[in-house]
Amino acid sequence: MIQNFISMNGYGFFVWLSFSITILTCGILYYKTYKTLKKYEKAFAKELSQLSEADRKIILEKSKVANQVFASYNKSI
Amino acid sequence: MFSLINPSKIFGWIEKLINFINSIFFIVLSLALTFALIISPPDYLQGDSVRIMYVHVPSAWIALAAYTCIALLSIMRFIFKLKNLNLISKSIAPIGLLFTCLAIITGSLWGQPTWGTWWVWDARITSMFFLLIFYILFVLSNKLIKEEEKANKVSSVIAIVGLVNIPIIKYSVDWWNTLHQPKSIDILKGTSSIHASMLAPLTLMLLVLLLYCALIFLMKYKTEIIRIKKKNIKRI
Repeated sequence: MIQNFISMNGYGFFVWLSFSITILTCGILYYKTYKTLKKYEKAFAKELSQLSEADRKIILEKSKVANQVFASYNKSI
Repeated sequence: MFSLINPSKIFGWIEKLINFINSIFFIVLSLALTFALIISPPDYLQGDSVRIMYVHVPSAWIALAAYTCIALLSIMRFIFKLKNLNLISKSIAPIGLLFTCLAIITGSLWGQPTWGTWWVWDARITSMFFLLIFYILFVLSNKLIKEEEKANKVSSVIAIVGLVNIPIIKYSVDWWNTLHQPKSIDILKGTSSIHASMLAPLTLMLLVLLLYCALIFLMKYKTEIIRIKKKNIKRI
């Protein structure tokens, strides 16, 4: 039964290769996108932390995006 | 209406949506793969090779839908002069490019056992190949042109020009004699010639891939928003 499932009645090579390529390339794009997002989050949070206390406070009050990125970065470290 | 796509307003929702999709993704994926590879029956003519349809068809649909979205957003960008639309287009492009490649590769893998050839320059496959070229040009124009405003304009023009190709892909099987079979599902009329036992895994695989697209789009969009905010940190 398992033999039949793997061979797919002679079409196993085509079927498994199609699904494997799909899953593999989707996985690679996910990994690359996730890594880039984390890199930008880290760089942005780092830039914010290098600002003076007063400047940072103003930016965090004005920008929701900066506030959330900074908060989530601080939570992760 | 456009305030709904304001990055600052929706930024908080992006993280929540990413977490939600992550939490259900593997359950839906397991279910879809079980249906596609185990439960669904082989075709009476094509045998088990028909299972390639469960990745090929949703990939092609997503490729077309993604390009249509990019082109319509580019048109809206010229009309409404909204820069945010570029961020959305740029976030959709890698998804469309990936699924165009997948549609062509899995189509080729399906073509060999079914038609006896990996590739043929028929109307559907050739027009899909042109779609791939338009995607590559769109992505490259955004990557290679350093000046952002110019890159946005050039990529928008490419997207709009390529829109002509979409109805050609869609109706190529009706307009010309091709190796491709005529459409089995008519979304506009809501009719299908596919049996329910095969329609269920097809729908599930489409759902999985749409969830995946949403996940990638949200992560890309979030990255683009952070990139812009980082660039303009002094102006905040």
